[in-house]
Amino acid sequence: MSAGRDRWLRIAAGLTGPRDNAPPLSAGLCSRCVETLSVAGTGITVMASAGVHVSMCASDPTVRRLAELEFTLGNGPAVDAYEGGVPVLEVDLVNAPPTRWAAFAGPAVDSGIRAVFAFPLRLGAARLGALILYQPRPGAMADDTMADALVAAEVITRAVLTMQSGMPEEGLMAELDDGTALHAEVHQASGMVSVQLDVGVGDALARLRARAFALNRPIADVAADVVARRMRFDD
Amino acid sequence: MTDREGVSEAGNATIRPGDKKGGGQEVATREELLAQTFVELADTLVEDFDVIELLTMLSERCVELLDAAGTGILLGDATDTLQMIAASSEQAQLLELFQLQNREGPCLDCYRSGQPVVHPDLATANPWPRFGPVALAAGLPSVHAFPMRLRDWVVGTLNLFMAEPRPLTAADIAVAQALAHAASIAILQDHAARDNRNTVGQFQHALNSRIAIEQAKGVLSERAGITMDEAFTRLRAHARSHNLKLSTLAASLAERTLPETRISEIIGAAVPGGSKRSSRQPAASLEES
Repeated sequence: MSAGRDRWLRIAAGLTGPRDNAPPLSAGLCSRCVETLSVAGTGITVMASAGVHVSMCASDPTVRRLAELEFTLGNGPAVDAYEGGVPVLEVDLVNAPPTRWAAFAGPAVDSGIRAVFAFPLRLGAARLGALILYQPRPGAMADDTMADALVAAEVITRAVLTMQSGMPEEGLMAELDDGTALHAEVHQASGMVSVQLDVGVGDALARLRARAFALNRPIADVAADVVARRMRFDD
Repeated sequence: MTDREGVSEAGNATIRPGDKKGGGQEVATREELLAQTFVELADTLVEDFDVIELLTMLSERCVELLDAAGTGILLGDATDTLQMIAASSEQAQLLELFQLQNREGPCLDCYRSGQPVVHPDLATANPWPRFGPVALAAGLPSVHAFPMRLRDWVVGTLNLFMAEPRPLTAADIAVAQALAHAASIAILQDHAARDNRNTVGQFQHALNSRIAIEQAKGVLSERAGITMDEAFTRLRAHARSHNLKLSTLAASLAERTLPETRISEIIGAAVPGGSKRSSRQPAASLEES
C-alpha cells in the first residue's frame, strides 16, 4: 500500500470512523480534527448558498466566535481560502502586515492565537466552505502535518457533501474507502444535473448522491446514465 | 458514387499518428519540433499561464513527437487514485482507458514503482487481463507510462498509446521522460496556486481545476446538447480566441457566474470541419492584452 493511500485511510478513519457514544458527525468533526492533526483549535464553516454561512462546528467557543467573526466581516484567512480556492497560511498574526485581516487579527491574537492555516473545502467549482486550524505559537506547519491537513480538507469536503445529500453517516466511510467513487463522469453528470435543476454543481452532486443511495447503486453508475442521457433529474 | 476530381489526399496533411515516416515532406523534424516545444514551454512558464491548457498542449505535442495515437497526463489525488488531468483528445474511449487504470495497467504499475513501463505489443504479451483487451479492442496495442516525479515522490504519470505494435527507441524514451518532467514543473509553476508554498497544495489545485473543467463540460453539454468531447473543444476554443484562462472560464461556467451572452457565444461557436491543429501561436499564450 502506498504512503498516500495510508495517509488517506488514517485521516479518514480519524475523522469519520465509528466510535462509541460519538456525537453526530456534524458536531464532532472539529474535535476529531484537533486530535487527528494535533492542532490547538479547529473550525469548519460551510456556505449554505449565495454567501450565507453556517459555522458547522468548532472545537471550542473561542474558535466558534472567531469563525463567525471573520465570515461576518467578510475578511479573514478562512474567507480568503474559500474565495481563492487555495490554502491560506499565516505563520504569525502578530508580525503579519497590519493590513492583513485588520479586524480579525486583533481579536484572534487576544484569544491566544498566533498562527492560522485555512483550507478551502471544494470540489472543482463547487465551493462548500473552509476548514481553519489555529495554533497558539507562531511557526509554519511541518510538511507532514500540512499533507495531513490537505487530506483532512478533502475528507471533510466529502463528509459535508454526504450530510447535504441526507445520506446516513455509515455510508461515508465505505465511500471514502473507494478511491474511484468520484471520477470524471460524476463531475460531468453534476454539471448536467446543475442545468436540469437550476442549482449549483455542489447541490447537483448531492442530488446525484442521494439518487444513487435511494437506488442502491454506485454513484458512478448513476452518473454514467446521466451522461448517456438515459436518466434526467427534471422529470 | 460521385466522381470527385482533383481532391488531393494531402488535403488533410496533419501528422497523423501511425503514418509512416519517410514521405520526405514533413513540416518539421522531431528535433525542430522538440526545440520548439521546449522554447514554448519556457516562454509560457514565465507568464501567468493556465495549467490545464499547458498540459493539454504538452499532451498534443507528445502525440506528434512520439508518433502516438493518444497521450494523457494522470495525477494521483488525495485518495491516491489516478485522475486524468489533460489528454491529447477528450474522446470517451481514451478517457475510459485512463480511468480503467485505477485497477491495473501501465500507469498504475508506473505510479507504484516510479519506473517507466514500456510495453511494445499487448497482442503478444499482456500482463493486464482487464486493461489489455480493452486497449487492444480500441486499436491501441502498444502502451507506455512514464513517471512524473518530484524528488523521490511519484506524483503521476504520462501515458502513451500507440496505434501499432512498436518498441520505443532510447531517444523516444528520453523525449517522453523529459515531457513528463516538464509536466511536473508546469504544475509547480502554476501562479494561481503559488502562494501556498506547498507542493501537495499545488497538485490539489491542478486536480480541482480539472474537476471544474469536467463540471463545465457537463453544463455545456446539457445546455447545447453536444458531447463532452465537443463541449471541451468549444470551451477551449473560446478561451483561446478571447485570451481567457481555460480553467477560469470553466470554473465560472460551472459556478453559474458566466454571463448568458458569453454562454451563447460558446454554444454558437461551432468549428465546422475546422482543423484542430494548433496554429503557430503558442498554444498556451495567455497573457492579458
